Amino acid sequence: MKILAIDTSCDETAAAVTENTKVLSNIVWSQASQHAKWGGVMPSLAQRMHRERIDFVVQKAISTSRRAPFTIDAIAVTVGPGLAIALEVGISKAKELAAQYHKPLIAVNHIEGHLLSPLARPRNYKFPMLGLVVSGGNTQFILIEKIGKYKVLAQTVDDALGEALDKAARLLGLGYPGGAILEKFAREGNPKAYSLPIPLIEDKIKNRFSYSGLKTAFVRLIEKEKPLTKEKICNLAASFQEAAFKHIENVLSYQINHLPLTINHLLLGGGVANNNLLRAKLQKLLRARGITLHVPYAKKLCGDNAAMVGVAAYFKAQRKEFVKDFNSLDREPRMKLA
Amino acid sequence: MGQCLLKGNRAVELGMKIVKQNPKAVETAVRVLKRGGLVIYPTETLYGVGVKATNPQAVLKLNAYKKRPFGKPYSVAVADQKMAEKYVFLNQTARNLYREFLPGPVTVVSAGKHKVAPGVESENGTLGIRIPKYKLVIEIVKKLRVPITATSANASYQKRPYQISDILENISEKQKSLLDLIVDAGKLPPHEPSTVIDTTLDDPAILRQGEVRLKDKNEILSRSKENTQNLAKELFQKYEGYLGQRPIVFALEGEMGAGKTQFTKGLGKVLGIKEEIVSPTFNLILEYGELAHIDVWRLENPQELEILGFLKMIEDKNKVVAIEWAEKVAEAIRKYRGQAIIIWVKIKYGKNPNDRLISWGAL
Repeated sequence: MKILAIDTSCDETAAAVTENTKVLSNIVWSQASQHAKWGGVMPSLAQRMHRERIDFVVQKAISTSRRAPFTIDAIAVTVGPGLAIALEVGISKAKELAAQYHKPLIAVNHIEGHLLSPLARPRNYKFPMLGLVVSGGNTQFILIEKIGKYKVLAQTVDDALGEALDKAARLLGLGYPGGAILEKFAREGNPKAYSLPIPLIEDKIKNRFSYSGLKTAFVRLIEKEKPLTKEKICNLAASFQEAAFKHIENVLSYQINHLPLTINHLLLGGGVANNNLLRAKLQKLLRARGITLHVPYAKKLCGDNAAMVGVAAYFKAQRKEFVKDFNSLDREPRMKLA
Repeated sequence: MGQCLLKGNRAVELGMKIVKQNPKAVETAVRVLKRGGLVIYPTETLYGVGVKATNPQAVLKLNAYKKRPFGKPYSVAVADQKMAEKYVFLNQTARNLYREFLPGPVTVVSAGKHKVAPGVESENGTLGIRIPKYKLVIEIVKKLRVPITATSANASYQKRPYQISDILENISEKQKSLLDLIVDAGKLPPHEPSTVIDTTLDDPAILRQGEVRLKDKNEILSRSKENTQNLAKELFQKYEGYLGQRPIVFALEGEMGAGKTQFTKGLGKVLGIKEEIVSPTFNLILEYGELAHIDVWRLENPQELEILGFLKMIEDKNKVVAIEWAEKVAEAIRKYRGQAIIIWVKIKYGKNPNDRLISWGAL
């Protein structure tokens, strides 16, 4: 089944063509590629930008897939969560295309897209599974009873992990969004150089994530350490990542230990899934518990993109979950996974 | 133009020159660039395509080559920081980055001085600067005395170019005809494209905008998150009576980690909102029934507050709006003083780790 998928949930304008779970094309016009490969990151807000780009991106997704538009079986679109005025652009384009080509329409939850993104490559897995979505806007630990049936075991009460990493980078004077560059610095630093508070270590029942306390402690620490040298920046970056990831590890081990279920697989998705240190730490934690970690096969599938939406839509199509009335399909900025 | 050092039908047929990287390549490249030509050159990351960044005709030609959609800016390569400062304003963050990373595979975006050809800077007037760690490029730019565009040599969305064939095999004859010179350094090691860092968000010039004066000023010391949330509750209750006649806007000002989201959590509690109030930095806006929670930190100009639907929000006389980083959009908020009750709340770090000095007043 071939699906044309669209995602305009926030900064990125994205479209993709997928066939079952296989990605045929995955076009993302992000702020980062706005100056092309060497350009600038511009977090400028832009419904207008989405509108200007959407046709180009959709056309590009179709032409790159080398499939004729009329061979596409369904149109999928992210309806939430996200920025309302941005979501709207993708939704109206999807409705227009579905009507024009007389194709069914599938409404997708952006987080489900991230969650299922590792399945874009064939995997052996069995239910129940676990899922961890770590991005700029979300941090959720999820029980996947089966595809489409989810239970959120833990989520953030303030900042998302990706947001915390970006802000830490900005506090170190590394610009924004600097999560990726923070990781580069951290590689040269000593994670034990500074001791930062592990978030919510006092929680007896570990069912939430929080990064505001760590962020504040980091602000204070940086004030104390100024002026910053490159060595200090590296050590601070490494120590911040250490505390931020330790928190994830703590919540995951608590939850896994307390689940009355045998789990053998965990899906990792979202932009922070690109962080190699986080991957290594999770790998270690999970291997000891006999759980296989599945990560998206390409970097592009981690950040916001539409191929993941196509993958999630394929499973919905299998369950015959199509939009019944196009007119009633509306954006859901605060859409929940479960 | 220069001597064609690599003999081959292809070069002749296309009317473009391919030269091997050698001492003469710099002179040849400079000559071609001066005439508005398009040059493909190697760097420490990928093959780039350059035109003289101050030549509007050359930039148009580059657009045609790259098949760029409307409004995509280009980064430029300069020889050193001194040259960079002719074209952009460097703030402290930018200076730090130059010191630590340049020359090297990092593009630093700063506010531009509008001295390059149209279409090179972004719509917002920012410009990405690169100082490649690659002698040939530095020498070309030094000799030319003007920056050259530093965009990858592939057309938009095509394969990353690590060798000349990556480029030539993926472009049309028409695109090939636009190329004037290729400096061939063979196959480059497969490095990632440069990392891009925007420093304009840290620009104090933006953060200083709109110093806010309050009619009446109150101040308390908060000793904990709970204190901060309680203050939000009390402040809300003080002005609650206006709801129904006018919406209430809490304009929150304070550094990162000061507790702006904590304050909003307090508003959520007093409004009986069951959902967890989380940071809206990424999404820009999160709505919970009658409470709208906005973060304008990522906005580039105050008008964008209106694009976010702020106007529509405050048409609802029962609405409560919390705006984080309000100082960035002070002017835009001030405009609606008559239409909404605006409470300005400043949160500052205190002496002890959990201490916050919170002051507030009606605008």
